[in-house]
Amino acid sequence: MMTLKTFNSDVVILKPQRFLHSGNFVNPLKSPAHSFPSTCKKKQSISASTAPGATGGRRYHTAARTDLRPCCSSHMDAPVSDGIKDDRIHRITSAIRVIPDFPKPGILFQDITTLLLDPVAFKDTIDLFVERYKDKGITVVAGVEARGFIFGPPIALAIGAKFVPMRKPNKLPGAVISEEYSLEYGTDKIEMHVGAVEPGDRALVIDDLIATGGTLCAAISLLERVGAHVVECACVIELPELKGRDRLGGKPLFVLVSS
Amino acid sequence: MSAGEKDGSVDRINGIKSTLRVVPDFPKPGILFLDITTLLLDPKAFKDTIDLFVERYKQRDISVVAGIEARGFMFGPAIALAIGAKFVPLRKPKKLPGEVISEKYVLEYGTDCLEMHLGAVEPGERALVVDDLVATGGTLCAAMNLLERAGAVVVECACVIEVPELKGRERLRLHGKPLYVLIESRFEPTSC
Repeated sequence: MMTLKTFNSDVVILKPQRFLHSGNFVNPLKSPAHSFPSTCKKKQSISASTAPGATGGRRYHTAARTDLRPCCSSHMDAPVSDGIKDDRIHRITSAIRVIPDFPKPGILFQDITTLLLDPVAFKDTIDLFVERYKDKGITVVAGVEARGFIFGPPIALAIGAKFVPMRKPNKLPGAVISEEYSLEYGTDKIEMHVGAVEPGDRALVIDDLIATGGTLCAAISLLERVGAHVVECACVIELPELKGRDRLGGKPLFVLVSS
Repeated sequence: MSAGEKDGSVDRINGIKSTLRVVPDFPKPGILFLDITTLLLDPKAFKDTIDLFVERYKQRDISVVAGIEARGFMFGPAIALAIGAKFVPLRKPKKLPGEVISEKYVLEYGTDCLEMHLGAVEPGERALVVDDLVATGGTLCAAMNLLERAGAVVVECACVIEVPELKGRERLRLHGKPLYVLIESRFEPTSC
């Protein structure tokens, strides 16, 4: 049992200096919209259980499991023998924990941070994506903020592609293009840098999880607007009841785990 | 210390440096923002960046790489994977589900807060903190506090870029921890 000692930070307030200078530039842009409702309401009975020990072990106060099914669903051929892949998928599935009532009551949140604490399972996750995409001529991996930033770059590095972050508004400096999309209540927006992706680039879109598909759909739109070809969307987890797979404008979806 | 002094990686560092871009007046007028996204668009430079960190840390028994949201997420996981360490995201408030510990820190105007999952890091673990850039060092100090409160030993903080005028290195030194960066960014008040 860990005890947390109280900590008083002794902080120094430093005033950042300002400089007048001129720098590099990049250029213009516009935007349509898509509307997909984003709902995720599930209530299931949960029993607390301890996730299997990874290196160093993990202790969590809430470690509830729902029915996570391993799967590798898509139209493309499996590049690895199913036996080896099944062991890896099983370990990945076991490493994901479910947090009830987050961010709101009634929602079961699929938490991938426990996967990141298991170096073998994390590596297997990346390897499964890399094996699938390394010979597909992918030139761009686009990752959706913020958990797409955890999986996208290692995949991009391994397959020799660019990594392009898709961000919430006002985070990217310089000229951006934006795509608005609908939430259950209201709208949200994601942005991409102008000039990051070029016509003819072959793109992969990465996020940790697909629910209704609204965010991925917006990401696909951004890439297509600049002339890229979106080859596939890839996520660690799918929530199939929310039918995101059907909302990708005909683009294929590849996932490792279905919940 | 900075890279390039001892390990003959000057060519790689220069290549990385050439990919960075400066965006003026972001997020506010008068600020020169150092943008690493153009580095991520250059697969060789991005790989070199990760390799330089991995070469430094692979023999140092690091068991945890902690990355600071959000740009620390772009570098930390690749380093963690290569050295066989866990990756722990340090996030803005209310993003992490489940139980967390929080550390408040001071900004120029107001305060901010960084959170880490309870149980992610265990006493005795050796940790590396990763972010894209160090300015005043406030965020890195908050990150180190979180790790130390969980009983970890912070071995070093690692960033792609340092802005030396903002004295982050000194602030870390006061905390007792070293800083490693690939590139120092100094601005001269001349017009180009």
